[in-house]
Amino acid sequence: VPTFQVDPFWPKPLPNHWLFGSITGVAVDAQNHVWVVHRGAPSMTARTEIGAATNPPTSEKCCVPAPQVMRFDPAGKVVSHWGGPGDGYNWPLSPGGMAVDAKGNVWIAAAGPADPLPGAGAGRGRGGAPAAPPPPDAHVLKFSGDGKFLLQIGKAGETGDDTSTTALHRPTAVDVDDTANEVYVADGMNNHRIVVFDAGSGKYKRHWGANGPTPFNAPSCVKLSKDGHVYVCDRRNNRIQVFRKDGTFVKEAVVAKDTRGEGSVWSVAFSNDAKQQFLYVADGANQKVWVLQRDTLATLSSVGGGGRWPGHFYGVSSVAVDSAGNLYTGETYEGKRLQKFVSKGMGRPAAKEQR
Amino acid sequence: MSARRTLFIGTSFLTALVALMIIERALAGEAAQGTVQAPRFEVDPFWPKPLPNGWVMGMAIGVGVDSNDHVWIVHRGDTLSPLETAADQNPPTAGCCRKAPPVLEFDAAGNLVGHWGGPGEGYEWPLSNHGIFVDHKNNVWIGGNDAKDAHILKFTKQGKFLMQFGHQGKSGGSNDTTTFGRVAKIYVDPKTNEAYIADGYGNKRVVVIDGDTGKFKRYWGAYGQKPDDTNIGPYDPSAPPAKQFRTPVHCADLSNDGLVYVCDRPNDRLQVFKADGTFVKEVFVAPKTLGDGSTWDVAFSKDPQQKYMYLADGKNEKIYVMDRQSLEILTSFGDGGRQPGQFFAVHSIATDSKGNIFTTETYEGRRLQKFVYKGIGAVPREQGTVWPSK
Repeated sequence: VPTFQVDPFWPKPLPNHWLFGSITGVAVDAQNHVWVVHRGAPSMTARTEIGAATNPPTSEKCCVPAPQVMRFDPAGKVVSHWGGPGDGYNWPLSPGGMAVDAKGNVWIAAAGPADPLPGAGAGRGRGGAPAAPPPPDAHVLKFSGDGKFLLQIGKAGETGDDTSTTALHRPTAVDVDDTANEVYVADGMNNHRIVVFDAGSGKYKRHWGANGPTPFNAPSCVKLSKDGHVYVCDRRNNRIQVFRKDGTFVKEAVVAKDTRGEGSVWSVAFSNDAKQQFLYVADGANQKVWVLQRDTLATLSSVGGGGRWPGHFYGVSSVAVDSAGNLYTGETYEGKRLQKFVSKGMGRPAAKEQR
Repeated sequence: MSARRTLFIGTSFLTALVALMIIERALAGEAAQGTVQAPRFEVDPFWPKPLPNGWVMGMAIGVGVDSNDHVWIVHRGDTLSPLETAADQNPPTAGCCRKAPPVLEFDAAGNLVGHWGGPGEGYEWPLSNHGIFVDHKNNVWIGGNDAKDAHILKFTKQGKFLMQFGHQGKSGGSNDTTTFGRVAKIYVDPKTNEAYIADGYGNKRVVVIDGDTGKFKRYWGAYGQKPDDTNIGPYDPSAPPAKQFRTPVHCADLSNDGLVYVCDRPNDRLQVFKADGTFVKEVFVAPKTLGDGSTWDVAFSKDPQQKYMYLADGKNEKIYVMDRQSLEILTSFGDGGRQPGQFFAVHSIATDSKGNIFTTETYEGRRLQKFVYKGIGAVPREQGTVWPSK
């Protein structure tokens, strides 16, 4: 199986006393640059974490929320950053997954509002009665690599059900079929389907739901393999379902079947070999990345474990792979880290649980 | 003289000249960038080793080092979200993780070698444990800062209960001589067996008790005066220095030369006293800091003179390296973040016999980190994240 070792010194420390919020999307582009989108200030505690951003500031310099979209070069240095409200589009209440297409355009699912953090810092630092939730995100955004707005599919607050051809309801993830110029949307926290649109015009093409009697429950990823299969993370059902691009069901597998609550299958990425022999599954409930054989969908080993030290996870929600086979993970909740796991080639799965 | 020899001498001269220029530049650079000679540190990202049993830590609220260079911490498992302790839920929602026991002991290599803590017979485990100290008799002291915690506890290293001083729910304020008010930290003087109590989140004083009997010996407030529990409102940087400590009084550590360093946290200051409570001097640190304040915990360098003092600032997310005698800040390291060497609410600090620094983080930081002592050298005034030089 592929083996990995965490690089505790990647990325480099962020400049300007910037902090990540809960990370919801990670992607690698054609230049092996790593992109990340995070929830920013709403996922941070003003009193304790971003004192330099409050009015008046309560701390000297540290810290302030980092821009919500950031791009890192292979050395781990921030090379560009953008994100936030602007003219002509609805910036997400809370972003979900992201993808970078072959043209270098950046797609972001608008998945908010963020799920609450049950019990987080209970009675210490969070608190206060919850306000009425704002109208939910129901759209997908497309930007150029330098952050210029290009396209919005759907509109914030204008939700549609599982039959809608124009509206979404808290979509969680996107992927782009560059050959067909189509964008696949996992829809989403409130719907139970995959929707395909034209990636240029945003025009509706088709959609489908889960195979079998159990509908998708929080489908949280959609990812296309090179051989034209569509992998769907059926998160709260602990399963992966695989389809052809037209929605024809191919196969399925269950991962960590005893997982309850948020479920085990959060996001997937493929190994960098031509055949994409392995599938990596980010599991933010069991705090690890599972290594699956892609053809059989058999679970072979795992990377990570719970905790706050390097190589550990709290809420690992995103996974991506570069051309050298290195693994990048993003953590949501209070994990809030972008981590790199250096590919160490093939090895024996003796250590069933790698760290 | 041959042409070759002339060339050789010429080259040597040029080499020397270039070397001189480099030295000059280096000196000028040092002055321009404001570097300073100070103890240097580098984070060790792989210390400690991963915890066994799928254990995770809540707010890590105290750290101490014993005479064997074992590192002790106390943390609050009940601050962990059900999402992070999925295997503890009924039924379990995932295979990972579980709350680690509150008291954890690590050897110098970072292996977990001991663990205990929690409610038991004959004592009141704090509702919100806070601060840990291992004394010269190898006993472990723990405070508590819940609104009801008015006591401190003493255990053997194996976790056998020895003594409780004060009682939960019985705090009598800053002039009571039988109980405490939400104790933050304890420090025991090996020469006199007196325990210095930073008291605390409820009271506004330092208390000294006998380490065996718990008998109150003396106590004092800011400037060595009688403490007064009147609420003086929030800290205002433009107002004259407060005549009282603001809560929490967060550390009270004794140096080898008999000075007590007190963290008056929300007042952004350290006050220094003689062991009898006589006020000596004070210093303000990052005085514009509001809210939680800047002076969270101190530790001393390991030379006999304790020339340096390290001050943890969980609000500005850094460690200040100070000259202990002058109280001048020489440099600082650390920054906000979740990567190695960065902090989210660095709360407690301790040093081992080799001069290494150990820190714990509260809120959502929840880590124990080690900073390896790298000797005295030139460092910038603000070092930021201290990663090993490759």
